[in-house]
Amino acid sequence: MIYNQKSFNLTTFLTSNLNINESDIASIIENCTVKNFKKEEFLLTKGDYCKDTFFVEKGLLRQYSIDEKGKEHILYFGPENWFISDRESAYFNQPSTYYIQALEDSQVVLIDENFIQRLSDKIPSFTDFNNRLLHNHIRNLQNRINMLLSALAEDRYLQFVKMYPDILLRVPQTMVASYLGITPESLSRVRRELARKNFKR
Amino acid sequence: MKTKTVELVASPRAPHFVGDGFRVHNFIPSGFRMDMQRMDPFILLDYNSTYNFPPSDKPKGVGVHPHKGFETVTIAYKGKVAHHDSSGGGGVIGEGDVQWMTAANGVLHKEHHEEEWSKTGGDFQMVQLWVNLPAKDKKSNPKYQAIKYEDIHRYQLENNAGTIEIIAGEYKGTKGVASTFTPIHMFNAKLNKGGKADFEFPAHYNTTVLVIEGQVIINNQDVAPTDHMALMANDGETFKIEATEDAIVLILSGEPINEPIAAHGPFVMNTQQELIEAFNDFNNGKFGYLED
Repeated sequence: MIYNQKSFNLTTFLTSNLNINESDIASIIENCTVKNFKKEEFLLTKGDYCKDTFFVEKGLLRQYSIDEKGKEHILYFGPENWFISDRESAYFNQPSTYYIQALEDSQVVLIDENFIQRLSDKIPSFTDFNNRLLHNHIRNLQNRINMLLSALAEDRYLQFVKMYPDILLRVPQTMVASYLGITPESLSRVRRELARKNFKR
Repeated sequence: MKTKTVELVASPRAPHFVGDGFRVHNFIPSGFRMDMQRMDPFILLDYNSTYNFPPSDKPKGVGVHPHKGFETVTIAYKGKVAHHDSSGGGGVIGEGDVQWMTAANGVLHKEHHEEEWSKTGGDFQMVQLWVNLPAKDKKSNPKYQAIKYEDIHRYQLENNAGTIEIIAGEYKGTKGVASTFTPIHMFNAKLNKGGKADFEFPAHYNTTVLVIEGQVIINNQDVAPTDHMALMANDGETFKIEATEDAIVLILSGEPINEPIAAHGPFVMNTQQELIEAFNDFNNGKFGYLED
């Protein structure tokens, strides 16, 4: 069987969510570009046009902006099996305001409009599935906005570790604080407080 | 008794930094034929080959991180490391010392170059090894064995061949002071040029020879130069090492635990479910708290 070992996770992701077999999907994935990025390398920088959605096979990405004072604000982390893209740039063809950067040596599948089209042609149910993904993404964004506006730092932290169980061990605390919109000192306080409540020995 | 032959001699892989204080070559589990299953019970071996760290007022090292499900063994050849953990423990690992930490049900710790050592800097050379625990012992409480160089038992080889320092296990009747959960032999063989030593372990024990200094020939046949690791096959019990120059070699041999391994980052458990629990426990503060 023709089988693209390089996009193993994407293949698994699609076959486990769609009514399609591996060989059918292989012919579509074959046309995708799989790229390796070194730690700290950029996939997108401010002012670029984002052409692709990035599916993370291996490694870890982050999408962030830099404000006028030079401070970084992390919108998302993209560990294995996540999609990351600047949708504003990709779908509305505008220069990006964001940076997408590899935080670890990463292997990424570049997914363009063509890929989406091919999948939709081949699998009618894909459109529904893609819609569901999009709505799930919107749901997460909605929650994230609501948490940022109204929730306590501890609740934001707990939500974060539920969404990203292993990120705390993969990135510096300053980045987690940046994602949560709190200072690193506040993050330390939250974690100290949780340990006080939950550490039993 | 059959000869345990050399399966391969691995050269050191490209180094990477762990934190900013350890520049290591990974042999286990990323080396060819050195994955966790093949090397069981040894699940990780990072080797900081001799590297000169310049003086630094701020000690370099690795910040707070957890471990769960196994033991870490740090063998210091050059340099000094200070460590602290979430239960208030800590200490300094100096040249020749060995620290055997049983992480078991979970610790949070950090390790840095010792403050005074860091100020002068110098050559730094260490091995960090992870030894897996059987499922039943993964739940036990954490503990340390701080083994000072002067307390390590020694066996003098005949003909001025050198000394075998026994960290754990047994060499020709001399026992190591470290206690282990499963049968493990861990020796530093310090051989003079031309010095020979022979070793005997059960065939099914997974066994390696890491050349810390100098060069050795194994079984009169396979050359293992400095910073290389010889993986021994599971085809026999005995092998010989001869130093072609003054040499130090670390010898590891352990009985495989033969249980399923579910590993991610600093947690090594038996099932995926246990791994998820380990992450949840860590994220929710169940490992305690330690200031960076």
